[in-house]
Amino acid sequence: MTATPSLIGSKAPAPKVPRGALTERTRLVVVAIFLLPAAILLAVFMVYPVLYTIRLSFDRGLGGNFTRIVGLDNYSSLFKDPTFIQAIVNNLLWIVFYTGFVIGLGLVIAVVAMRVRYETIIKAIVFLPMAIAATALAVIWEFVYQPGADIGLLNAILGIFHGPAPSWLGDSGLVNAALIAVGVWGSVGFATVILSAALKGIPTEVLEAARTDGANEFQIFYRIIVPMVSLPISVLAVTLTVNVIKLFDIPYVMTHGGPGTASRVIAFQMYIQGFQSGQFGQAAAVAVVMLIIMIPIMAFNIRRFRTSSVV
Amino acid sequence: MNRSLRIVTLFMASAIVMAACSSGGATTAPSAAAGESAAASTVASEAPASAAAGGGSITVTSLWGGSEQEAFQKVLDGFKTATGITATYQAQRTDYATVLQSKITGGNPPDVAIMPGLGFLRQFARSGGIKKVSDLGIDPASLEANYPPGILDTGKVDGDLYGIMVKFNSKSTVWYRPDVFTKDSVSIPKTWDEFKAALDKLQAAGEKTPLGLGAKDSWTLTDWFEEVYLRSAGADAYKKLFSPDGDWTDPSVSAAIKSMQEVLNDKYVVGGIKGALGTTFTDGIAEAFSASPKAAVYFEGGFVGGIATGQTNTALKPGETIDWFDFPTFASGAGTGAAEIGGDEIAALTTNPGVKEFIQYMTTADAGTIWAGTGAIISPVKAVAASTYPTDLAKKEAAQVAGATAVVYDGSDTLPAASPDMGAMLQNAIQGQDLAGLLSTFNDGVKAAWAGEK
Repeated sequence: MTATPSLIGSKAPAPKVPRGALTERTRLVVVAIFLLPAAILLAVFMVYPVLYTIRLSFDRGLGGNFTRIVGLDNYSSLFKDPTFIQAIVNNLLWIVFYTGFVIGLGLVIAVVAMRVRYETIIKAIVFLPMAIAATALAVIWEFVYQPGADIGLLNAILGIFHGPAPSWLGDSGLVNAALIAVGVWGSVGFATVILSAALKGIPTEVLEAARTDGANEFQIFYRIIVPMVSLPISVLAVTLTVNVIKLFDIPYVMTHGGPGTASRVIAFQMYIQGFQSGQFGQAAAVAVVMLIIMIPIMAFNIRRFRTSSVV
Repeated sequence: MNRSLRIVTLFMASAIVMAACSSGGATTAPSAAAGESAAASTVASEAPASAAAGGGSITVTSLWGGSEQEAFQKVLDGFKTATGITATYQAQRTDYATVLQSKITGGNPPDVAIMPGLGFLRQFARSGGIKKVSDLGIDPASLEANYPPGILDTGKVDGDLYGIMVKFNSKSTVWYRPDVFTKDSVSIPKTWDEFKAALDKLQAAGEKTPLGLGAKDSWTLTDWFEEVYLRSAGADAYKKLFSPDGDWTDPSVSAAIKSMQEVLNDKYVVGGIKGALGTTFTDGIAEAFSASPKAAVYFEGGFVGGIATGQTNTALKPGETIDWFDFPTFASGAGTGAAEIGGDEIAALTTNPGVKEFIQYMTTADAGTIWAGTGAIISPVKAVAASTYPTDLAKKEAAQVAGATAVVYDGSDTLPAASPDMGAMLQNAIQGQDLAGLLSTFNDGVKAAWAGEK
């Protein structure tokens, strides 16, 4: 959250206001007044709920009320729960494959699209799934993945080639891959557009110089293009990772974490603990764990912003 | 750094700020509930204003929508005619218990709630959210005569009557295609061995996958387990298993799951177990009862009839292309003649004027007759005549439960809300995961949940 204020703040020390017109004290008051609305919003919608959640995570929290302080019990039972461990493993799978495929495919599509005349059409088509709500996306793909070929588009297509007809969402070994594919399909357009804009920013002189020096297109891609868009890539990676950690909608709609507990993720586990089991203390503990995972990622990201004004 | 890259960076900065904001939202489940309670209170405060003209008004909440809501509205209309009091229905289709809890916490509960599952009833009774029936000025003993034995017991918490069952469905019904059975000259199986033999015979006659299963909705598996357990271990063992004294590591439990697996396997089930785990409850019904069926048998509760004939395939003819038989009995004979039901309990959240009248009305044959006449439910009220039910399927269902030697309540709905997910455990079990390990973990979780209720 501090990213925006710091960006604005970094421009502030070069004002055209004549020095000495304001005393140090009035300047502080002015600053405080300007910060106040944002500070109030932050306090009400971020700080208070976070503190409330942290307090709740040390409580039994039945029905969302503070019923009895239980210390670290919620946390210890969390890490003894094989389902929670599985959810963390699944989140890791998502981070590796979802983030990797979205950025990889996004970069490839952006580079390839730049070389053809109908670039805008390609980008528009790839970007289109971004306009679909995640829930709708999940429902659409739930139909595509239906085991019976009379509804399931994917198995109908496989049937044409006399391929197998797997139960994409009913097979513990396939379900995570099937869900990640849906996520990738929904997000690759985002990466394409971001990276495409970044690619446009690479000076043509650099590319021409490389070509003059005899670099082939693959060398240009790996030695010049990729390093020159490394900042957008790293920021994309952080954004996607944050998205994955709070991922909920796709598994909730498509599999409800099943079959069994095979496709549960951390945020879904939080939902189950809170809204299905009524154990808000446990749910709050899951939320705090999510927050703790999130902090270093956000810190990395903010630092990256501060140091990368010169690329 | 050139301009467009800077714009990209700025865009992504804002994207990350937004991501951070929404992640903040995700970490604050309780505040979301508070928001819902605020929304709920505006709904609640509107309702009385619009209905103040009549002889008082109350609000009733439950989780029905669509045709179920229309059927219940007829009962509310009957109540208005009988007493002049207006009862306004509020549907709460998802996160029922959480929203209800937040309404109670927010000081603006509905007057009456009809709750699915006894876990919820206990939770609200112990937290003081709902009133005892006696607090309303109704003598619980006076109601006993209206119901078959055992029905009122389901609404008792720690010995006091809080909830009264107002509707139920049998869960001991195995749905099948009479036309296919006749064609393949398969007779209706009475015992578990006959059931397996019938599946074999259907298969030999060309029904490649005779058994439909919609196990993506994991509660279909809890019902399978409950039926098999009831029939193999008996009603007393069943009641014990779903009580605080229940032991899920008992050999009878793993034996019942192994019995389930004798029929729920890749040989009989449409699409195999993996296919079934990707198939929902309603798609499972369609496997047996659509216009192009793949299966001849589908097990689930009495409500399958309404869904199959009303939604899946309106061309179905009860007795010809759809019917049901009693869940097969086991060699032990322990649970023969018993019936399992799943039902909803009515409970008062306030003692406002009209609440007592409404609760009392719901125990009468009048209310039961109106409701049963819609075909949506089976009424537990004894005085509701068998002829009230509009279809033969429903008449048979009512008769099955009325004639049962013992009636038990849906076990998974009886377990504490904080129990581990029984359906997910069974989904893992039928995939062939280590049964002893699953049951031991589940047992620990259920024990802890029962202990936590105290």
